[in-house]
Amino acid sequence: MPGMRSGLRLDDPTVAAAFRSALVHQGLIALLIFASLGLVWMSVRVYPRRPSLEAGPVAGAASAALPEPAWRQVLRVGFGLLWLIDGILQAQPQMVLGLPSQVIEPTAASSPHWVQQLVNWAGTTWSYHPVQAAAATVWIQVGIGIWLLAASRGPLSRLAGLAGAGWGLVVWVFGESFGGIFAPGLTWLFGAPGAVLIYAAAGLLIGLPERFWRASRLLGRLVLAGTGVFLAGMAVLQAWPGRGFWLGTTHGRPGTLAGMTQAMAPIPQPYALSAAVTAFTGFDEAHGFAVNLVVVVALAAIGAVFAAGRPRLIRPALAGLTVLCLADWALVEDFGIFGGLGTDPNSMIPFALIAVAGYLALARAPAPALIAEPAGPEPSPAGWRDRLRIASVARSIASASIGSVASAWAIGLIIFGAVPMAAAQASPVADTILARAINGASALVNRPAPPFSLTDQHGRQVTMASLRGKVVLLTFLDDTCSVDCPLIAQEFRLAGQLLGADSRRVELVAINYNPLYNQVSYIRAFDRQEGLNGIPDWLYLTGSRAQLQQVCKRYGVTVQVLPAGSMIGHGDYAFVIDQAGHLRQEMGFDTGPGTQATRSSFAAELASAARQLLRQP
Amino acid sequence: MTRPASLSGALATIAAALIAGCGTAAPAAHAPAAQVRGSGAPLLATSLVTPAGTWAVVVMGGTAASHNNFWQLFIRPAGTSRWRLVTPPGVPDNGGLVVAGGGGQSVATALRPSQYLTFTPLTRTTDGGHNWSSLGPLDAALANTPDALSAAPGSGRLLALLTDGTIKATAPGSAAWHTLVTRHMLAITPTGRRCRLTGLAAVSFTPAGTPIVAAHCASPGVAGILAASNGTWQAAGPAVPAALARLHITVLRLTRTGNATTALLAAGTGPGASILAAWSADGRHWALSPPFRVHGAALTSASFGPGGAAAVVMTGHHGAVITMGQAWKALPDLPPGTATLAPGPAGTFQALAVHRATLTIWQVSAAGTAWVKTQAIGVPIQYGSSG
Repeated sequence: MPGMRSGLRLDDPTVAAAFRSALVHQGLIALLIFASLGLVWMSVRVYPRRPSLEAGPVAGAASAALPEPAWRQVLRVGFGLLWLIDGILQAQPQMVLGLPSQVIEPTAASSPHWVQQLVNWAGTTWSYHPVQAAAATVWIQVGIGIWLLAASRGPLSRLAGLAGAGWGLVVWVFGESFGGIFAPGLTWLFGAPGAVLIYAAAGLLIGLPERFWRASRLLGRLVLAGTGVFLAGMAVLQAWPGRGFWLGTTHGRPGTLAGMTQAMAPIPQPYALSAAVTAFTGFDEAHGFAVNLVVVVALAAIGAVFAAGRPRLIRPALAGLTVLCLADWALVEDFGIFGGLGTDPNSMIPFALIAVAGYLALARAPAPALIAEPAGPEPSPAGWRDRLRIASVARSIASASIGSVASAWAIGLIIFGAVPMAAAQASPVADTILARAINGASALVNRPAPPFSLTDQHGRQVTMASLRGKVVLLTFLDDTCSVDCPLIAQEFRLAGQLLGADSRRVELVAINYNPLYNQVSYIRAFDRQEGLNGIPDWLYLTGSRAQLQQVCKRYGVTVQVLPAGSMIGHGDYAFVIDQAGHLRQEMGFDTGPGTQATRSSFAAELASAARQLLRQP
Repeated sequence: MTRPASLSGALATIAAALIAGCGTAAPAAHAPAAQVRGSGAPLLATSLVTPAGTWAVVVMGGTAASHNNFWQLFIRPAGTSRWRLVTPPGVPDNGGLVVAGGGGQSVATALRPSQYLTFTPLTRTTDGGHNWSSLGPLDAALANTPDALSAAPGSGRLLALLTDGTIKATAPGSAAWHTLVTRHMLAITPTGRRCRLTGLAAVSFTPAGTPIVAAHCASPGVAGILAASNGTWQAAGPAVPAALARLHITVLRLTRTGNATTALLAAGTGPGASILAAWSADGRHWALSPPFRVHGAALTSASFGPGGAAAVVMTGHHGAVITMGQAWKALPDLPPGTATLAPGPAGTFQALAVHRATLTIWQVSAAGTAWVKTQAIGVPIQYGSSG
């Protein structure tokens, strides 16, 4: 249908290819860095040690340390794997365009206005440079995962935890809309208070200094008490009258919980999973009160046991919580990662990991034995200058474990992922890949631009010849069009702004498509509507019905007068004409979804085309 | 190991704060009491009679997405029995279509803006909708009411009510719009103060060409109709019967029909609400119909015919007609999808029913107890062209 906008498919091949290419290139560079690091490490280790190399201090050598407690291992390895899975899930091609529209914005939809504004700002920021943002997210999360898995102790390990906490908070705020805690319908069963907030909490625990390892019992007590109070609170929320959780159905429709699970079932996924969720939905519809009673009682009882801290009862309570988490993960959260654009396995596994870690910290006293690191001479205090000496650096590298090397690589991955995104986001102009994805590449031509003689918005005659000496960015706009023409006008306006001082040598020109509403008063009304009336290099041209039909025909632009209250049917085009009056590029200019990002992308493409011609001798 | 006594308390406080701050839906705003008028802008569906014929405006197309709903204009030319589609081309009319008969063969239409469009294109026909020529645009959105546009008899002068409560007018023989008056200016007149004017509902011309305005009044028992008079605005509405004096009176429609001005009023709200028709030859002295109890039904369309005839469509397939000087008469249950009633060739009203892209015309049977299908028109709706 001419005149209608198309969308931008989530699996758009242009964008998907660019994303794949970015991942492959960045992945190869990451591997190269890893190989280089490994080579340096091995070379230094096998290099015959000279006395001078052995004389100086060796970082960490001869120090005695506590072994990493079991609770920390559980958190570090568990959340390391989770971050790794999250990073891999972020590599889905649809994530590039789909994250803002399919994940971020729907999550925020039921939250207060200020949350929506904050989150939509993040979505728009992502949309401007989606390929760089998506690739960066992959590398940051993979990097955090590898870092956590590789660094078992020492400052690097603590830093890994804190990095996970920091990134987790970013994802919790912008990706999960604060885990929906400000939205109605909050329930632990569906992931409250947000899976990534649990990641962040785990990161903070991992980041605790080693002296806290000696107070594992106190730490375990605190973690379990906190978990218990949280569960008790969630039980109260679950039992709160009027929230709909006690009802399997309301007015013949699924109740609150059944409604949530019913919405999960149709997501494309293996049949067995869908069938399990559907079966639970049916069960909850039939026995809503009983299901909620079990949930409320279980949450309250487990919460009370954890909060009270009775050691005898904690183990069965933990077993009960684990079973509850697994059941909820399978039947309510639908495992979180299948179908759609799942970016993590939701909250139940992280929640269970936190509880298990708390139990381990409480139940297992810290190992009394000290681990002696490889013996060496007693280190002498060294200043930063000594540490930077080649010999000292070489000694440090030689004494580093494989875990430290992998950690360094992981840190490199994170930085490597974040820097291109940060550099891209610093630009206020969207990536032109969006425009190319919507309309494909422009056609390069070189022939005289068809002539015209029309009237501008000020009533002056304008001909093609009168525009010689300037680069002309030309389009066709219907002055009463309600959808895409106003967007194209904005794209042209923005292109003028992007051109800055160059705009004096560029004319932005639109020709009226509409042969029925062709008076100057209409193009003036359109200009006022779009804020174009004050732009000096903007010309909106109109003419008689015959004149407009002729110029449309000359430029190969189709126009249809459609019946039954439809707007004029037309395609969307842009033409780039050089200073000598030669047509140099023909662009499809369908506005796509018409977002702020796509408008910016089209404007950037126009400005770039104009600049190319201006640079030519 | 012992637990610090304050730990649980602190955690409980945090959890309680968390719970208190979440899961609470914003309190719903108080809904207004049920009004006679239906929801949305259903009254835009209407019909009117001009010397060229009978015109009907209905919305057709999709039901879910507003950009797939297109307003259509039909005409049954004078002296004929068949309807035909004459929707003006060239403008997307998803926002609504308002028609004003200007006397003679001339009919003006305004296409309410939708989506990114913010101004109102106007067009005129003088040959029964065969050809349309555009008039200068209104540089703002026309109000969402069927009487937002009016044409003076003879002079071609236009009055337009905008969404912001401004009334614009053209001078005779000119296409340029100027501001005639605003809601605020009317509200501070003595008449506006007496009626406690809160908004505007309609504009029209008396048969003599005087601009008149229908306003929403907060004062009970006041039918808010004001007429321009010697540079100011005077109360010109009918005096309502004493039985209705304590009720809130709403002017639902105000239009010129032939040589009279016809108004449709609602008295009261909810199940006890009733509607009244009012007729005036000079825009000042009115004849009132008896009230017609609507029993809680919502009005979805009101139409006017020759001789002061008026017809209303209500929810629940209810319809009623009245002729000046007579009582309201209930119609047989209306056909499904009835969008509006329009004067038919036999002097009785026809029902225009819409099902997606098909308009079906129904006529009351000779016995007056049932509806008989007389015509069906398929409309080539351009689905997706506005979205």
